[in-house]
Amino acid sequence: MSVSSSALRWRGVPRDAIAWRTWEGEVVVRNERTGSTHLLAPHAGRILLTLIEADAALGLTEIAARLEGDLAGRLAEQQSAALDEVLSEFERLGLAEPA
Amino acid sequence: MIVGELARADLTARLTGDGLRLRTGPVVTRIRSRLSSVAEGIALHYADYGVEEAEAFADFHVRIAPPRSIRRWFKPQVRFDFDGASPFHPLPADQAFPMLEWGLNWCVSAHCHQYLIVHAASVEKGQRALLLPGAPGSGKSTLCAGLVSRGWRLLSDELTLIDLATGKIVPLPRPISLKNASIDAIRVFAANATLNPPVHDTAKGSVAHMKAPTDSVLRASETARPRWIVLPRFRVGAPARLEPLPRAHAFMYLAEHAFNYDVHGRRGFECLADTVSACDCFEFEYGALGEAVTLFDALTRAA
Repeated sequence: MSVSSSALRWRGVPRDAIAWRTWEGEVVVRNERTGSTHLLAPHAGRILLTLIEADAALGLTEIAARLEGDLAGRLAEQQSAALDEVLSEFERLGLAEPA
Repeated sequence: MIVGELARADLTARLTGDGLRLRTGPVVTRIRSRLSSVAEGIALHYADYGVEEAEAFADFHVRIAPPRSIRRWFKPQVRFDFDGASPFHPLPADQAFPMLEWGLNWCVSAHCHQYLIVHAASVEKGQRALLLPGAPGSGKSTLCAGLVSRGWRLLSDELTLIDLATGKIVPLPRPISLKNASIDAIRVFAANATLNPPVHDTAKGSVAHMKAPTDSVLRASETARPRWIVLPRFRVGAPARLEPLPRAHAFMYLAEHAFNYDVHGRRGFECLADTVSACDCFEFEYGALGEAVTLFDALTRAA
């Protein structure tokens, strides 16, 4: 994907395409389409669950707005770079895609 | 009937004839061999195990025999046959009994997909199971042997079977495989333990097996709920130290050390996740078995 993800809207894979568990903020997610299982750090896990729970594709500012507490603050400080990186990784793993 | 009730001539006749149908936990294996070392190993390590009658169903049909070649006369070897095929390279003849043990492990890990199978030792106390996953050399078998010699029940040394429907650990108590320095360590720590003489120069170094405690064999039908997951690491001279391990990391470790996690798809994920959720998870470094046993006994009292 050569287009900057900041210019895109993002949607998670359908809810039934993944299985996940959250422990102490960290998320383990199994992608039913690839058969792979991934360990997500707390901020990445929250971004994924935000996408999964959304009714429609979200832009970066909408994703950031839906995140709460420290995570939103951290994202604001680092502008959208961290979010870009996470979303690109989700795309690579087949967990989210540009709308 | 159990193996120990068979006269030696009867045991040999079964092994050289239609086969000894040996029950180990939920598995029945029909074993055939003309090698005296195999008969001796079975007589020593499996005396307490059930023997099924000749017409009984067997899950696996195995044989330990010399290869069909000139090698039977020159540097003799043995091969492991499974349903008439030889899935492994032959080994030197003095490794016949270890090869049987490794082969039996393979039978279960490659075929018993009614369970989620994790490469882990597991022991039980108070109906709560302690899972000890670990790579070879981590010290899990040594720790397992130390714990069962101090009153913990052996569920399995190598293959922890998780029932997909109930989440409980299904016992598969078999001889505990000890390697290299851990052989003498267990001889010193558990003077009453029954070990066969070491077999040297195997792919794993020197190997000896420790007989499973009789009580563990007799209670092989009693499942146990997983309660602790501990990743052991032996380091010479290290004080016993238990450090909390995040559950998500424990999950990933177990998934990576499961034989058939991918086979079960989403069901395997849910089963493993339920297992991890039910457990306190730790990393554990130790350098002395006595300290380790004391620490785990304290863990059970605190829970």
